[in-house]
Amino acid sequence: MFSDYAALIVLLPVIGFVLTLFLGKKLPSGGAYIPIAAILGSFIISLGIFLEIYPDKVIQQSWNWFAGMNLGILIDPLAIVMLLMVSFVSLLIHIYAVGYMAHDPAKPRYFAETSLFTAAMLAVVLSDNVLQFFIAWEIVGLCSYLLIGFWYHKPAAAAAAKKAFLVTRVGDVLFLAGIVLLYVNMSQIIASHAFTLPQGNFILQFKSMFDAIPQIDPRQLTYITLLFFGGAVGKSGQFPLHGWLPDAMEGPTTVSALIHAATMVTAGVYLVARTFPMFVAAPDSLLVVAYIGGFTALFAATMGIVMNDIKRVLAYSTVSQLGYMMLALGTAGIAIGAKAVGISVFHLISHAFFKALLFLCAGSVIHAVGTNDIREMGGLFSKMKITAITMIIASLSLSGIGVPLIDLGIPVNIATSGFFSKDAIIEGAFEFGDKTGNFIPYIFAILAALLTSIYIFRLWFMTFSGTPRSEKHAHESPNVMTIPLIVLAALALLFGYSQTGFYNYLEKNFRLMNVFVPVHQEASPPSLIITLLPLIMGIAGLLISYAIYHRRMLDMSKLVSSQNPLYKLLIKRYYEPGLSADIIGVKITHGVAAQSGEFVDRKIIDGLIIDNVISNSLIKFGDVAKKIQTGVVQNYASIVLLGIGLLVILLMLGGA
Amino acid sequence: MALISLMIAIPLIGAIITFLTRTRQQARAIALISSGISLIISLFLLSRFSSSISAPQFLESTQWIASLGVNLKFGVDGIGLPLVLLSNIVIPLTVVFAWGETKQANQFYGLILLEQVGVLGVFTSLDFFVFYIFWEIVLIPMYFLISLWGGPRKDYSAIKFFIYTHVASLVMLLAIFTLYFMAPPVDPFTGQRTFDMFYLLNSYQIIASPILKDAIFLALLFGFIVKMPAVPFHTWLPDAHVEAPTAGSVILAALLLKMGGYGLFRIILPILPFSGSPGKLITLMAIIAILSILWGTFLALAQRDLKKMVAYSSISHMGYVMLGAAALIPLSVSGAMFQMFSHGLITCVLFMSCGVIQHSAGTRIIGNLGGIAKHMPKLAFLMMAGFLASLGLPAMSGFVAEFLVLVNSYITLPTFVILALFGIVFTAGYHLWAMQRAVFGTYNEKLGHIHDGAGYEIAAMAILVLLIIFFGLNPSPVLNMMTTNANQLVALAAGLKGVIT
Repeated sequence: MFSDYAALIVLLPVIGFVLTLFLGKKLPSGGAYIPIAAILGSFIISLGIFLEIYPDKVIQQSWNWFAGMNLGILIDPLAIVMLLMVSFVSLLIHIYAVGYMAHDPAKPRYFAETSLFTAAMLAVVLSDNVLQFFIAWEIVGLCSYLLIGFWYHKPAAAAAAKKAFLVTRVGDVLFLAGIVLLYVNMSQIIASHAFTLPQGNFILQFKSMFDAIPQIDPRQLTYITLLFFGGAVGKSGQFPLHGWLPDAMEGPTTVSALIHAATMVTAGVYLVARTFPMFVAAPDSLLVVAYIGGFTALFAATMGIVMNDIKRVLAYSTVSQLGYMMLALGTAGIAIGAKAVGISVFHLISHAFFKALLFLCAGSVIHAVGTNDIREMGGLFSKMKITAITMIIASLSLSGIGVPLIDLGIPVNIATSGFFSKDAIIEGAFEFGDKTGNFIPYIFAILAALLTSIYIFRLWFMTFSGTPRSEKHAHESPNVMTIPLIVLAALALLFGYSQTGFYNYLEKNFRLMNVFVPVHQEASPPSLIITLLPLIMGIAGLLISYAIYHRRMLDMSKLVSSQNPLYKLLIKRYYEPGLSADIIGVKITHGVAAQSGEFVDRKIIDGLIIDNVISNSLIKFGDVAKKIQTGVVQNYASIVLLGIGLLVILLMLGGA
Repeated sequence: MALISLMIAIPLIGAIITFLTRTRQQARAIALISSGISLIISLFLLSRFSSSISAPQFLESTQWIASLGVNLKFGVDGIGLPLVLLSNIVIPLTVVFAWGETKQANQFYGLILLEQVGVLGVFTSLDFFVFYIFWEIVLIPMYFLISLWGGPRKDYSAIKFFIYTHVASLVMLLAIFTLYFMAPPVDPFTGQRTFDMFYLLNSYQIIASPILKDAIFLALLFGFIVKMPAVPFHTWLPDAHVEAPTAGSVILAALLLKMGGYGLFRIILPILPFSGSPGKLITLMAIIAILSILWGTFLALAQRDLKKMVAYSSISHMGYVMLGAAALIPLSVSGAMFQMFSHGLITCVLFMSCGVIQHSAGTRIIGNLGGIAKHMPKLAFLMMAGFLASLGLPAMSGFVAEFLVLVNSYITLPTFVILALFGIVFTAGYHLWAMQRAVFGTYNEKLGHIHDGAGYEIAAMAILVLLIIFFGLNPSPVLNMMTTNANQLVALAAGLKGVIT
């Protein structure tokens, strides 16, 4: 019954967008309750559909659109878990925003845009074809542009919005190129009758793509998947297109929470997961995914350690965690096959909960102290207990800390969801190393785990422990903000226990579409030290941060100075902002274009040919024109007639 | 019923009456009514049009100059009808947008109506002679629009516009004459010749000399690419736009450029397969296309004047039309046609935005603006929509067109498509960069007190934005009629795909 209304999952927030945009001003709270109701509707429908299709049904609906392309809905296990997560987390963030944005005069625009943002992300998730996926993906990009630049009167916000759009646009063009290449390959194999499109199927549908994999030239498949991954690199902020994400902090904190947890950045990981059968058929691409993901996980974590802006630390943390998800798809995809999607998406969802929570806690703190700089915070624990406690839960989850009772023989672990999800990824990377002899991705992952724990507890201790470093009187946020925190904290604690069921459910995903993805035998369980190493790293990081930032056992002033080249490199973010401002930010291109382009157009094309003709004729023409421009229209009409008359005479002469 | 000639005649009559009116209220009312009636007639044509027939429909033919074989022959097919529709959408909206014009209003609106007459004639006439007359008619009102209502350098720009396009027309005319005299007489006994367009295009095949064939082809192509305009014959366009009044720019970019594109599909593609060296000519077209796309983008990046930037973006977008045509794949050709239709709508919004800003802030120089969204929220919203459409955002009409062109052209012209893809990031770049500096950021207090666009200006732009989104979400009705004709054009060229280098 719910599945008949699947399209409403997207349409409700779209309607919410239109209504809020035009009616929001007249309604209480800027019309915030419209998108909240709409997204709640999306969540309820998604939940209903989940109950209908669990455990082994798939919903597929499609409608003819244009030029052999279609619009359609595909809800399989992969899509439904994403739908539930996106609508639920977005719902909580919207509720929180009622409190957070209470004093902003532009509320209607805010809620309209976040509603569209959610709609676009939901449309990405349930697309059944890659064109619609791309369209929704671009609308996601548009909304992020609008929301990052929400306070457009701030020059930094306007610049960050533009950077976000352009950097992700680089990825989008690669993605588009991948679609072009895919389309051409598909139409070629259809034209040569190597592959027939069944009645009712369309050329760019995921199902058709997967069915056609054996017929597509493997090298072409590698190009296609690499180009797709290029799109994912842009959207998910992977190296080298990661720079836009930390800058995207210029928007309201709730927007950051949306971008980092529910919408946008997870779209890239979802793209790779969605087209996973193609990646599996192109192992070289999968290896690239593994390397880029692993490197990004470590690379971003190094910058997370030195940042002083609370949101920026979290932003680098997101980049790093997305790297983990990519790493999982790459390494586990090669080592154990189909299960990789489950491992990656499980972390994606557990990350969505604790990262949304971290951002909302940060928002709560910023709301209270009026600054983003953690050096000006401190001692907030007693004043903001709910925020502090929920945030420590999120931090524990991010660092993957738990008590592994299973290894002691007790059947249940006591652990955060991050413990389950991150462990599986690192184990997958180890398994990859075990099978291929290549331990580089594993080393990236394990080092990043240590750094993750250091930066997040540095953040927590700097914010909540010690003595206050600011004069401002801080207080706990209102209920409308703290309740979403508590709900998310509960999920960050409990979601991990669904691990086994989740893996089993997602492993079926492609089989349900009759697409074969190989499942490799898992090697014998690794030794205890390997299993426990991620946890040890997490706890070590916690202790290091505790020692430095709580007990102040180490004087950091020597390390943290611009004299220290390593610190300088990190705080300058590897000089990426400057580079991308010059390359992407069109500064250089503008200069070059202005000089050379104008020169060619003005001096060469015009200067050599046209201007001489004109300057000669201008004198004569000008005199005539002055006489003609007497304001009498009849004169002009007679010129028109004269011209036509001349033409006719000319023709008469020719014809005779 | 002679619906098409009625559709052309009504704005003509309207123009004459408008010239004779004394107050601007009368003038604009008549202009709106007559252009509106023309729109209604074209909507009626649309409702009766069959998308599955490639031959021209609503044919009508009246003998005009019997001795020369000139007939007033009109008809529309999937190539012409979308552009007829576009013209009839753009002209009434231009009148609405320019509702506040005070300077010599009766002449101003009259010239706009004459433009409508001209472009409708070009898109519907099936007689080469009549086609050429309409082609020339379009030029003259535009010349006056620029030279009477234009900016400080209007004389230079108007004359540059005139010379460029006139030279191109003359070269085209030479080619038409050659075709006319090379074609065998329709009546071998009396030696009666004809200007019938299809007859002349068909008889192109039987010209013996391949060199002459190529010369005719190039002469016609020259006539069209100057109008489009394509690099390197594009420099008249930015100058014309900078000096033209907003209404003039809108018509110039939305409709006049489309005449060049129309010529590609109506005249160039049917004779291309029979030319002396089709492979080389296709390569030439593809090179011109890619040069226009990239050079237009590159130069748009360099501009300080908002309107000039938009002008260069037009060159880049029209390059896609050429690319899709040169690729000779059914959907690339119909994508190219759709690009003309879509660009016609989008560019209106862009030029109208420039016009409102110029009027309100007194400048269009990007660096002198800044933060105007604060005082012009409605304009900023619509301008943003227009800019996003122009940079090819999905769910808007420009994306459909560019997607179809890129995807399908790759089959025959892969290298060129890869080059075109490079332009996309920079296209987004100059659009967003201009928005960031001109519209967002802190308000530049030097601008003093500025006000939002007038109600009629905002209304015209809003309708266009809605149409852009409508055709972005629902391209099929228009696209289907284009595809029917594209299939037929490509079927002619079926033997060519192996020739392309």
